[in-house]
This record gives sequence, C-alpha cells and structure tokens, in this order.
Amino acid sequence: MKKRFVVFYTAGVVLIFMFAAAVAVFFGAFQSSVVGSEVEEPLLPDERKALAERGAYVATAADCYACHTAPGGAPWAGGLPIETPFGIIYATNISPDKEHGIGEWTRAEFHRAMRDGVGKHGAPLYPAMPYVSYRKMTPEDVDAVYAYLMSREPMPVADKTNELTFPFNMRRLLRFWNLLNLPGDTFQARDDRSEQWNRGHYVVDALGHCGECHTPRNVMMGMKESAYLQGAVLEGMEAPDVTREGLLRMGFDAPSLAHFMQRGVSAQGGMTGDMFEVVHFSTQYMRQEDLDAMAAYLFDVDDIAAAEEPPPQPEPVEVSAEIAASARGTYLNLCSGCHGASGEGIPHVAVPMTTNITLRLEDPRNFLQTVLHGIPELDFPGVERMQPMPDFADKLDDQELADLATWMRARWGGQGSDVSPSDVENLRREAHD
Amino acid sequence: MTRATKPMSLTVNDRQVGPVAVPEGLMMQDFLHEYLNLTGARMGCGQGICHACTVVVEEEDGTLAEMRTCIVGAHWFEGRRVRTIEGIAERDTDGAVTDLSPVQQAFIEHFSFQCGYCTPGFVIGATVLLDRLQREPVSREDLEEVITEALDKHICRCTGYIRYLEAVRDVALKTPGLVTS
Repeated sequence: MKKRFVVFYTAGVVLIFMFAAAVAVFFGAFQSSVVGSEVEEPLLPDERKALAERGAYVATAADCYACHTAPGGAPWAGGLPIETPFGIIYATNISPDKEHGIGEWTRAEFHRAMRDGVGKHGAPLYPAMPYVSYRKMTPEDVDAVYAYLMSREPMPVADKTNELTFPFNMRRLLRFWNLLNLPGDTFQARDDRSEQWNRGHYVVDALGHCGECHTPRNVMMGMKESAYLQGAVLEGMEAPDVTREGLLRMGFDAPSLAHFMQRGVSAQGGMTGDMFEVVHFSTQYMRQEDLDAMAAYLFDVDDIAAAEEPPPQPEPVEVSAEIAASARGTYLNLCSGCHGASGEGIPHVAVPMTTNITLRLEDPRNFLQTVLHGIPELDFPGVERMQPMPDFADKLDDQELADLATWMRARWGGQGSDVSPSDVENLRREAHD
Repeated sequence: MTRATKPMSLTVNDRQVGPVAVPEGLMMQDFLHEYLNLTGARMGCGQGICHACTVVVEEEDGTLAEMRTCIVGAHWFEGRRVRTIEGIAERDTDGAVTDLSPVQQAFIEHFSFQCGYCTPGFVIGATVLLDRLQREPVSREDLEEVITEALDKHICRCTGYIRYLEAVRDVALKTPGLVTS
C-alpha cells in the first residue's frame, strides 16, 4: 500500500514538473539569447550613416532581398510566399515603415530577430527566416544590416497573414523547436585554419546560409548537423551535396566553383530554380575574396590556390543496346538541336551536356524534372542570357525519358544505375500533388 | 557521333513522302528545305526562340499541334502527318493557290506583316490556336489574352504584333463557335 502511494506520488510530481517545464518553455523561460547587452544602446545617426554602405554588402551576401521582396513588389516590403509542409508563410516587410515595417524596431530588437529568432514583441519567428544561420553573424554585421535597412525608403505595405494549419499557427510552440534546433553557440573562428578558410566558413554558414537548403533536415525540420551540406531535396529538386566530395563528384575545383557562384553559368551547367535566384540576388555581387574564401572553405583548404585539380571526366558506362537505340534517337531528335550531337552545346546558347553537373548526381531527379518541365529564360550576370528550354512532359513517355536519362547519365555522367519508367512516373505524380 | 542515315516516311501536306534515307540528327527544317524544297518554314534564330520555323503536326486524334523545326530532328516526324505553310491554302490540281485560309486572308486585310519573314510561323501558330478554340471556345473578354498567350512566343522584328492580334481576333469572332458570348 505504502509502496503504491510512493509510485503515484513520484509520478505525480514528475508530471507536474514536466507540465511546469513545458509551460515555462512555452512562455519563453528557457530562451537562450546570444545577443549582448551592448546593443541596448541605440546607434547614433552618424554611426548608422557610416555603417549603411557596408550593411548593403552584408545584406546582399546574406540574400535578404530574395525573400523580403516579392516579385513585382515594393523593395523590402515582403510578401513572398514561402511554401512549407505546414502551410504558407509570407516574408515580412523589413523596410523602415513605422506601421508595417521595422521603423519602430530598436537596434536590440533587430539583433534578437536576426540571431535569436524573436520578433519585436517577443514572439518567436518561424525558421523560414534563417535565424539559425544568422545566429552566427557577428554583432558588427547585424548592426550594419540594421543601419542599411533603416536607410531604405519606408514602404507602407501591410504584411500578409500566414496560412498555417493548427498547431503550427501557434508561434510559441517554436520555443520547443528552438530548444532542440537552435545552437547555443555563436560563430567561432578556428586558430588552426587560415583567415581565408575562416572567412569562407563565415560566408557559407552565417551570411550565405547555404545549409538551410544543402543540409538535410531532421524529423523536426531542423538542420541535421551530422549530414552538414550533404544535399537535400526541396520542392522536388535536389540541392546537391556541396561538401568537398560532392563538389569533386560534380567536377568542380575551388576556382571553378568560385567562378560558377559569380557567373551562374559555366562548363558545369547553368544555375536554375532557387539557386539561380541566389546568384541573381546575392553571389554575383560578392567580392572576389569572399567567393574565393567560400570555395576554399567548401573544399576544406587553407588557400584556394592550393586546391586540388578537379577529377577527370568520368568514364562512360555501357548501357544495353535497346536503351542506347531508344535514347540516342530521342537525343538526336529532341536535344541535339541545341545541346549538340555530341553533347558539346552551343556557346552562350545552350550548356554542354558532356560536363554537366546534373548528369553526375546519383539521383536522376534533377535531370528528369528539367526535361519534364523545362527551364524558363534566364538572365545571368553580365551579358549571358539563356533561352528557355522547352518542357517535354507531353513529348516523351515514361519509358523514353527513362531510357534517355539512363543513356545520358551513363555516357557523360559516368552513372551506371538504370533509371526506370516508374522513377519518371513518380516524379510526374509528385508534380501534381 | 557518326551520322548514319536511316530511312524515314511521313506525310507532308497530305502527300506521302518516303521512305527516304535521311541522316540521323538532321533537323526537320533542313529536311524540308533540302529534300522537299519546301522553304516556307523560315530559318530565323536556329535556337528554338523565334518560332519562324514552325509547322503543324496533325495528331492522330485530329487535333493540331505546333512544332519548331529548327531544333527538332527530322526523324522525330517519322510516321506523322505534317502541314507546312505551303499546305495551308487551298490549291488546285496544278498546285496553284485557289483560296487562302481565313488566317492568311485576315493577315493580308489587316496589313499584319511588313517584311514577312515571321509570317509563316504566325500563320501556323494562329491556325493551331483556332483549331484549339473550336474544341475549347473562350469568352469574349478572354479572347485577346488567349491570342496573346498563344502567339507570344512568335517574334516579329518589324513589331507588327498588334496587327497580327487584330487579324486573329477578327477571324475568331467571325468563325461561329470559337467565342462564347
């Protein structure tokens, strides 16, 4: 009898304790802030003025504009819909408008939004805003972005209401998420690595927030650190592995990667989809030393000049005569007009297939999606333009496209695994979901 | 890649062609120009952008589709029925034109073209559009937008776009069943 009482009593205490802990988390008792008290002091107008120009560069490198300006919308006024598995989140107005934007935000409130993921009134932000990455930004860079944004024209555009399902519409639940997914530490330079490597680490992790797409997510949608930058599927497309191994597989060396990030098009292909936007709004404007640093870090070398040579072109893999006959005919009829009979492409018109990244990826997904849905006309940095690639969803059946994929991947990408018609069918179905 | 030849057969403007040995990877436009002397499908950009080179493909279900010939290989058309710009007007047994198609007539009446280089493509594009409207009529208020969308990809360097649009709109409005009230 007594023993039973003890068990009940203990269980009760534990439950009450757990409930209290949950309530405490819910109301923010365990929020960890990396924002120092020095930012409580407002920046003086002169200080802001001096910082704004650098802030423009930091904001560009951090690619704030891409989300906080909707296509055709007012600059910095938000409105871009971000689709998540839980509904749509709209990017907010971060122009200095006092009513709709961040005009009334203090320096400290801005720091807490960027690095702690907490809004002006203390409510958690959704992690669609990459504060997990921006947490690693230096206070100086956050100040610079704040000064820059405050120097912009106020845009009186109201924020759109997010369309999220229950319980994801309860912002406070994000405190639990933060507890598990928001690292407690900030950016730490490593003494045993060069300045270039450390700068690259900062550009990749803090500013460029590369991991938000290139690091796969765990069941809680947090970045899975054990698979850091090893690639993930987003909205049907693979953001490829950009670790050293992944980059070598795609045929890059460090200088060619830096060049690709700046120009958006190279022998390895053209940037498309979300990554085109990254180049368009951000990396094309990065300074050469930052591009070099990013490439050196990703290749894990202290000096970009010391980076290894790219691996040789992969050896073609034999495919069955039946597949080759079907695919070769398809290629000559529908692809070779632009990409060349031998896959050589047309300079400034259509990228070559012989050195294309997409054919070297293990997963045929990006290749299949591109052939099914085509690519819109792209306006690359400088004077490079790319004509639209037609979509072939209604020109090729599942078998023809699977054969084409198998053959092209074997011939130019060195990939030996056959693509099956069901792979194509699955992707077609995915597009309709 | 060696360019072996392969026999192909197709129907062009209701006429059976082939079997004829055609190099693999030869673009359809070159086949039309060099093998059949049908030079109306124009070589413009050669990159699939300007759509001056398009032809009609008559699908098995009777519907019409538009295909670019500068970037599509001749062998893709194997066994298909193709109509080029030369086969749009009515002709007598000697091959002389007796009646222009409604689209062709409207382009003349509206002074739609100046240099005329893009015109074959616009005729093909408009013909395919009108065929679609027969099956899927559109409302009057949507008509201009539908025409613009359908012909948007055709490039006219003389910028005769508005006259092309007006001509196609005229034909669509005059032909019963294409536009719902």
